[in-house]
Amino acid sequence: MFRREAATPYLFLIPAMLLILVWRYIPIIAGLRESFYSNGLSLTGAKQFVGLDNYRYLFDDPTYWESVRVTLKFNAIVNPLQVGCSLLLALLINQAVPGIRFFRTLLLLPIAISINVAAIAWGLALDSNYGVVNGILKMLSLPTQPFFRDADQAMPTLIGVVTWIGVPYWALFFLAGLQGIPKEVLEAARIDGASRFQAFRQIIVPLLSRTTTFVLVATTVANFTMFAPPYLLTNGGPSGATNLIMFDAWKRGFTYGDLGGSAASITLFLAVLMIVVALEFLITRPRHD
Amino acid sequence: MTDRLPAATPTGPSFAQRLAKIRWTAIPIYVALILLAIIVLLPLEWIMASSFTTTETVFKNVLPFSFRALLPEEFTLDAYREIFDSGFGRAILNTLGVAIVTVIGCLVVGITAGFAFARFEFRFKGFFWVLVLLSLMVPYEATVIPSYSMVNDIGWTNTWQALIVPALANGTVIFLFRQFFAEIPQELLDAARSDGASWPRAMVGVVIPLSLPVIVTSSVLVFLSQWNSFFWPMLVAPDQDFRMVQVAVSMIGVSQQTTNWDLMFASSTIAAVVPLLLVLPLQRFYISSLVSSGVKG
Repeated sequence: MFRREAATPYLFLIPAMLLILVWRYIPIIAGLRESFYSNGLSLTGAKQFVGLDNYRYLFDDPTYWESVRVTLKFNAIVNPLQVGCSLLLALLINQAVPGIRFFRTLLLLPIAISINVAAIAWGLALDSNYGVVNGILKMLSLPTQPFFRDADQAMPTLIGVVTWIGVPYWALFFLAGLQGIPKEVLEAARIDGASRFQAFRQIIVPLLSRTTTFVLVATTVANFTMFAPPYLLTNGGPSGATNLIMFDAWKRGFTYGDLGGSAASITLFLAVLMIVVALEFLITRPRHD
Repeated sequence: MTDRLPAATPTGPSFAQRLAKIRWTAIPIYVALILLAIIVLLPLEWIMASSFTTTETVFKNVLPFSFRALLPEEFTLDAYREIFDSGFGRAILNTLGVAIVTVIGCLVVGITAGFAFARFEFRFKGFFWVLVLLSLMVPYEATVIPSYSMVNDIGWTNTWQALIVPALANGTVIFLFRQFFAEIPQELLDAARSDGASWPRAMVGVVIPLSLPVIVTSSVLVFLSQWNSFFWPMLVAPDQDFRMVQVAVSMIGVSQQTTNWDLMFASSTIAAVVPLLLVLPLQRFYISSLVSSGVKG
């Protein structure tokens, strides 16, 4: 370590720390502040301090609560689903069979594609009239489905699309975790007569606990902040079925011009997200018994 | 000629030998792999094939479904011609420019900060490091709307800096460089500095050439995040002059009229193919960088 040139480390740090402070931390504070002000649409155009009015207005709005409900339901399903599927995918592409490299490259392709391209692609493929999926269903003499056009099917369909794009990405982390497990450990378990399932339960799962925690928290953050699919495909509908909270907050701010309400919604959302993430850390913490 | 092909690769077993080595127990694995490959590839293949044909042909081959839907029947580039006529090329150039400048900026910021964290002792170091790590946990999307208000207040809407500067606050890149620099042997740095070279010169001469792998991974990471970014540019730079690729794609896509499907196919294909071309050759680099930033962070 170098101590002599006392200014050097600070000079090296100034750009990074300034950028992080201004563009990562100040927006949180600015959002909190904005949530206590009117949306600036008064005659003078000035923003007025309105206390908790934005929150009160939000709480009186059934659309908001419906959006909260939809977001929680979406996350309660999609996060465990993505963690489970990505672990299974990682186990699969970690199998030592000939040609596995080819399949690994193929199955990880979606990691490069943006979520809105995935949303548009699946939106077209799942179109109720001309989508290729309904075309295939018809060929197999199965009934065609409305998918995003139906209030009951929109949410499961959205979960499917988000899982398609998310699972390969999160599987990468499990794959790395699996490749970090020494072969001797699994070999020793097999010699001791452990079945494949026992080895999975008692060796792989505990050794992957840190990866699991990371993936669970990261999927939670990614899925709680999901925006593009409702924006591009459903406009939050039909009848609010896919009105996820980020999309709802955006609509408040940018369609209805209620920036204060939007900021209040985001502030509450960040607080809830932090609690959920903290709970996930607690639940998945390795137990030492 | 053909029977001499295996001799060209004397180290590996022939395809037939490898095929013979596949055990019967592996069959369920292959079934699962092939099923998943279909699920992954079907929409991508359909989008790409459909982008080279007319909307009418696409509909004809979908209802009822024919496997011709997965091949560009009646090949045409009309959809591509039309999106490029209405400014898609401009969006690609905008995005490439923004992404390249962001990559360079992130490298400068990441290398300097990463080096300071890895190689210096100074006051409040722990505090600053925690600030960097915590910034990784704050979802960027959640601060998009208040950040937009800030950009609006300082008059940056529809500017290049609005697209570039906030993206430079990239904690992941700083983290990657710190982890890498912490492993460089001290003797190398001492040698670089023994002839009285200043820190910046020692960095350029010794440290940066060593860190080429991290530079590649960080560049891919940052380039992809700019190429794929959508919510932010949609808010701060919707203007045609500053329009980014994903915004252009979504503007074609959001107007989902059955008449312009071919435009959606073509624009989505371009938006998907560029990152695929980048990730495929660099997949290993990219994966290792994601993994090291994620699992340890």
